[in-house]
Amino acid sequence: MAEDNLQNTDSGNLRNRLRVPDPQRFRVSRGTLRIDAFMTKFIFVGGLSVILAIFGIFFFILAEIIPLFKGAEVEPLDPVTTGIENPVLMGSDEWTELPFLVSAEGELTFIDLNTNNPAKTEPVPLPSDGHIQSAAYIQEEQGIALGLDNGFYLFGKIHYRPEFQADGTRTIQATADWDAPATFLAKDGPISDISLYTSPERKTVAGIVTDADAKRVQVNSYIQKRSLFGASGFKLDNQWDLSDQLPAIPLQILIGANATALVVRTSDESVHYFNLADGNWELRQTFKPFPNDSAMVTSMDFIKGNVSLSFTNSAGNHVIYSLYRSDEAGRRIFGQTKTFETFPGGAEYFARSARNKAFLIGNTERISLRYSTTADVRWESDLPTPLEKILISGKFDQILGVDANGTLHRYSLADPHPEAGFRAFFSKIWYEGQDSPQYLWQSTGGSDDFEPKLSLIPLIVGSFKGTVYALLFAVPIALLAAIYTSQFLNPGLKRVIKPGIEIMASLPSVVLGFLAALWLAPIIEDRIPSVLTICLAIPASAMLIGYLWNLLPIRIRILIPKGWEFVIFLPTIVLVSVLAWKAGPLVESLFFNVTDPVTGEQIADFRLWWEAWTGNQFQQRNSLVVGFMMGFAVIPIIYTIAEDALSAVPPSLTSGSLALGASRWQTTARLVLPTASAGIFSACMIGLGRAVGETMIVVMATGNTPIMDMDIFSGMRTLSANIAVELPEAPHGGTLYRTLFLGAFVLFVLTFLVNTVAETLRHRLRDKYKVIN
Amino acid sequence: MDSKDSKLHSDRPKGESLVWLCSAGLALGVLMVVSLLGLIFWEGITVFWPKSVVQITLKENSQAKLGQERTIAGVVVKKQRNSRNGTEEWQLLTGNKDAYGAMFKYVDTADFVSVENPEGIVVAERMEYGNSIFFPVAYTKHTGERVTIGDPRFWDTFSQGIDEVRQRYKAITDLEKNKIGRINRQVNALTIAKRNYERQLAEGEHVPDDEIRQVEEKLAALQKAFEELAAKARELRHLQEVEMLEYRLSSGQIRQQPSGDFVGFHRPNDMGLLQKAGYFLHHIWSFLTERPREANTEGGIFPAIFGTFVMTVLMSAAVVPFGVIAAIYLREYAHQGHFVRSVRIAVNNLAGVPSIVYGVFGLGFFVYIVGSSIDQLFFSDRLPTATFGTGGILWASLTLALMTVPVVIVATEEALAAVPRGAREASLACGASKWQTIQRIVLPASAPGILTGLILAMARGAGEVAPLMIVGVVKLAPSLPVDGVFPFFHLERKFMHLGFHIYDLGFQSPDSEAARPMVFATTFLLIILVVVLNLGAVLIRNHLRKKYATGAF
Repeated sequence: MAEDNLQNTDSGNLRNRLRVPDPQRFRVSRGTLRIDAFMTKFIFVGGLSVILAIFGIFFFILAEIIPLFKGAEVEPLDPVTTGIENPVLMGSDEWTELPFLVSAEGELTFIDLNTNNPAKTEPVPLPSDGHIQSAAYIQEEQGIALGLDNGFYLFGKIHYRPEFQADGTRTIQATADWDAPATFLAKDGPISDISLYTSPERKTVAGIVTDADAKRVQVNSYIQKRSLFGASGFKLDNQWDLSDQLPAIPLQILIGANATALVVRTSDESVHYFNLADGNWELRQTFKPFPNDSAMVTSMDFIKGNVSLSFTNSAGNHVIYSLYRSDEAGRRIFGQTKTFETFPGGAEYFARSARNKAFLIGNTERISLRYSTTADVRWESDLPTPLEKILISGKFDQILGVDANGTLHRYSLADPHPEAGFRAFFSKIWYEGQDSPQYLWQSTGGSDDFEPKLSLIPLIVGSFKGTVYALLFAVPIALLAAIYTSQFLNPGLKRVIKPGIEIMASLPSVVLGFLAALWLAPIIEDRIPSVLTICLAIPASAMLIGYLWNLLPIRIRILIPKGWEFVIFLPTIVLVSVLAWKAGPLVESLFFNVTDPVTGEQIADFRLWWEAWTGNQFQQRNSLVVGFMMGFAVIPIIYTIAEDALSAVPPSLTSGSLALGASRWQTTARLVLPTASAGIFSACMIGLGRAVGETMIVVMATGNTPIMDMDIFSGMRTLSANIAVELPEAPHGGTLYRTLFLGAFVLFVLTFLVNTVAETLRHRLRDKYKVIN
Repeated sequence: MDSKDSKLHSDRPKGESLVWLCSAGLALGVLMVVSLLGLIFWEGITVFWPKSVVQITLKENSQAKLGQERTIAGVVVKKQRNSRNGTEEWQLLTGNKDAYGAMFKYVDTADFVSVENPEGIVVAERMEYGNSIFFPVAYTKHTGERVTIGDPRFWDTFSQGIDEVRQRYKAITDLEKNKIGRINRQVNALTIAKRNYERQLAEGEHVPDDEIRQVEEKLAALQKAFEELAAKARELRHLQEVEMLEYRLSSGQIRQQPSGDFVGFHRPNDMGLLQKAGYFLHHIWSFLTERPREANTEGGIFPAIFGTFVMTVLMSAAVVPFGVIAAIYLREYAHQGHFVRSVRIAVNNLAGVPSIVYGVFGLGFFVYIVGSSIDQLFFSDRLPTATFGTGGILWASLTLALMTVPVVIVATEEALAAVPRGAREASLACGASKWQTIQRIVLPASAPGILTGLILAMARGAGEVAPLMIVGVVKLAPSLPVDGVFPFFHLERKFMHLGFHIYDLGFQSPDSEAARPMVFATTFLLIILVVVLNLGAVLIRNHLRKKYATGAF
């Protein structure tokens, strides 16, 4: 009735409407369209930029490390005309604002580089009719020694001090101090070469004096007199004449290694090394820097630190010799550690950096900036005008060269990371003082002469080591547990147990690290035999119980339903662990006996036994502890992913296998495992990715020593721990800072690749079984 | 034939022992989780329970004697068997570091003559030198009245004295931290203004004399206010030193200490179970709400809790919008081709990139580039002291947000994908625009999934330490990142964090043995936080699964 009514009254209207649809009804409001269009754009831009921002991390880190691999950039600046012809010495202040030149006649001229004009000229107080024949200059100390043609030498010191004007600008003021002239034992003749060493306590000067037509090697040493009122000046302490010990004519002399070494180059192309022992210079070593090369040695110079000598010869060969312990008596002698690219013609002049192990060599045609540690040529160029003297500025940001006409050529030098480079990070390097090329990481040291050792290899090895031990522990447990959970476990239990283990994945690693270091490490240290026994006893007992159980009649076996075995095992494991723990000392006394070095008795001590057996010391914070705790972090990850992969195997396959009479283990081993192998592999890879990047556990549970072995009872330093330990102290933009970024980059790329491989495999697997389903 | 037959019908299936091996693997895994959590729970919770004090009388020739005295009192921390000679030894927390020089003492049980639980012994928390364990002798009030232990009023007088001390201490903290701190900030601002005027003068610009004079007057007024407050604080400090407690150590030594040195006390040997439970709760409360003392080894961890909280909130505020927008783009707007698929895999993999890498990025980008630029632009008058150009809570939160954004993207994408196609189509068929469909149908339906992602991100962020070490976490922050001083949110401040607190206490503290209870308690708290967050995520996820399992088309 009501329906009829409705039809009757409304049908006309309705028909009307249907025939002539009201266009308003279908129109979308303009506001909605506008919002929709806006949101489409907004989400497009927003979403894309978020994704780009995330990937921006990669490019940002990349941008931070690129400067490490760049060479030096040298640009000429305006030259300055000084008018000082044939200067014998050039020096400069730390800021390179007020360098000085000394002419042979004894005029000391400071040149103001802000105005490009000579600032002041003052005479050096030379003794009568003396001319300067040779000069030595130590930039760090601003110490000078001048050798004259009349047998005298002269010590000088330039005092630079910054002065601040009222308007806040800084100017550099300089004064020169000169000591009274002095002589060596042999004093009648020009000093053709001179070398200087200064420290607050001591001063040593060595020279070659042409005395009665023979060239004689002379050394004088001074010590600082100390009185109640502090230092009161240097006093002559000792004098030597070393000429008798030399078989040939001396050409060049250098003092090195804190004035305990004296190196003399002679005309027979060999080098003689004297060592100061008990107040006497003894000839310790004579060597030819180029044993297979008859060409003339053209230069010999110490690199900063005064333990490495750079040699070039006229054939252009360029090598470095360093002092290290190598002779039979265990004394330090020079040995060749590095070979550089050739420098055609050999070097005629040399300048070293006061900041790092860089140095300049050059001759009339070419000039080259080289770095000792990495044997790397940072920059090399032809010279438009031949230079006489060169200098690297104190801040390693300028090169000064002066030509024969006294024109000062300036170059800006941009080489912020000379010690970096592919070779520095990934190759074996023969560092100063070492007896062989090595991979070493030691970023900072105590002294100014310290040579940073930036090899990433020990860190990569450390990361690898930690990962391997973690996986050794984690993979078996995680996979066994995953197999059991997916194939045998009672489904009701599975719903509880799986999330339970997954929660372990979110345990903060700082907690695991803290437990590893403060709780586990002392326990393991105390009871290694017990721990080892547990590791063996648990799987063995599991197999044994399983075997014995299977022998029991079915009446008994039926008591434990399938899928509940592991519940039985919980108390068993506790029991086995306790027994194995107690049995530890017994095991120790059976297998790990060692002779006590003190008493000579046989004692059972695993730690001593390990040391005696492998030669490696036992450390409390070792890889076993790290592996164990990192295992905690990795197990849930591997477990979850592997379990997912195993569960994804279609039941049609397993049912088929079981129906054909295969036992449940046979089904698992022959069918499920191979089918899910890609997924299991990817689980292990993702676990590996997590272990490689794990930071806090490693920082806390290892000694963080960058060593290069795989010994289970020693520590390590991983890439990630290295960043955490050193980055807070690394100055922004410095080489160490960027090297740590490089470490982060390596980690990023490594984990990203590993994860991508794993993820792709997993997706393949998923797609494959979609089809089967 | 027969043998084959029996093989087929064998009731001893092959490989059963390997199944058992697998079960051992699972049992081991479960056991490890349970024992690890159990260890932390037990160690963490027992820290707060008042432990009774034993008094041990040692043999005449014992090496553990304290000076000439043979009695020694302390809380038994550990009983262990010496693995070398098999004797049992106890580790005692003797307290009284100022008197004994150490907090702990190892005693051989073979040296024991007697062990008793003396009544009336007091364990007192002090401002310095850790706890003290003693028998009180007398309490001298500020009136000069000396109440001895025999007096029945003694305990009331003592606790009243300590209560007063605590109130005065609060007042002093309020004076020095808040009131004087406020003056200091005003003085700083005025000094900067004054310096600016002086610079302008030096540059020859005209500065009205009035303004300089005003600044100077204000400075003088502040100086006066400061002196008044400082005098008040001095007075209160003086009162802290007036009342004296006289006590006897178990070794017989009599000592005197002003009551102001004490924070609280309890008598573990005289407490009933109820009292102990009360003390237990009180102890937990003070642990959660107080500031740390004594290089973080005593007191509470409130700043660390607060810092973790603020950082997590900031991180969530940053991570949700960005993560959701990216996920909507990837799932709803982008053309589903190879490119989007590879982006998706890559985003997923970013979740596996080590956290320290994000820390490195945070330092290099946020702190050194963004932060330094902000300093240059807005805080140039404070340079060279960096404001934003150094680690701080904002940068730490953003770093962690970046680290966890892949987690949120992945979770949101999954949730978006789980919204049934039919629901979308129905909405579109009704004439809703694409955005309307997303806004009204898709997003509400996937909200629980997004929430799961957020909770997982929070759990990861709250527990992460390595990147924070680089971008602004400190062992002791002088002030909280949010407080009552304008502009209330101090995002440039450094902050304390529970995870870093654990690291710092366990590894940087001067007396790691004394710090141990604090580490375990902090660990306990952090674990609870993380586990609760994760359980929440798991529950929401399960709920979600059920919902869509039945509602699927």
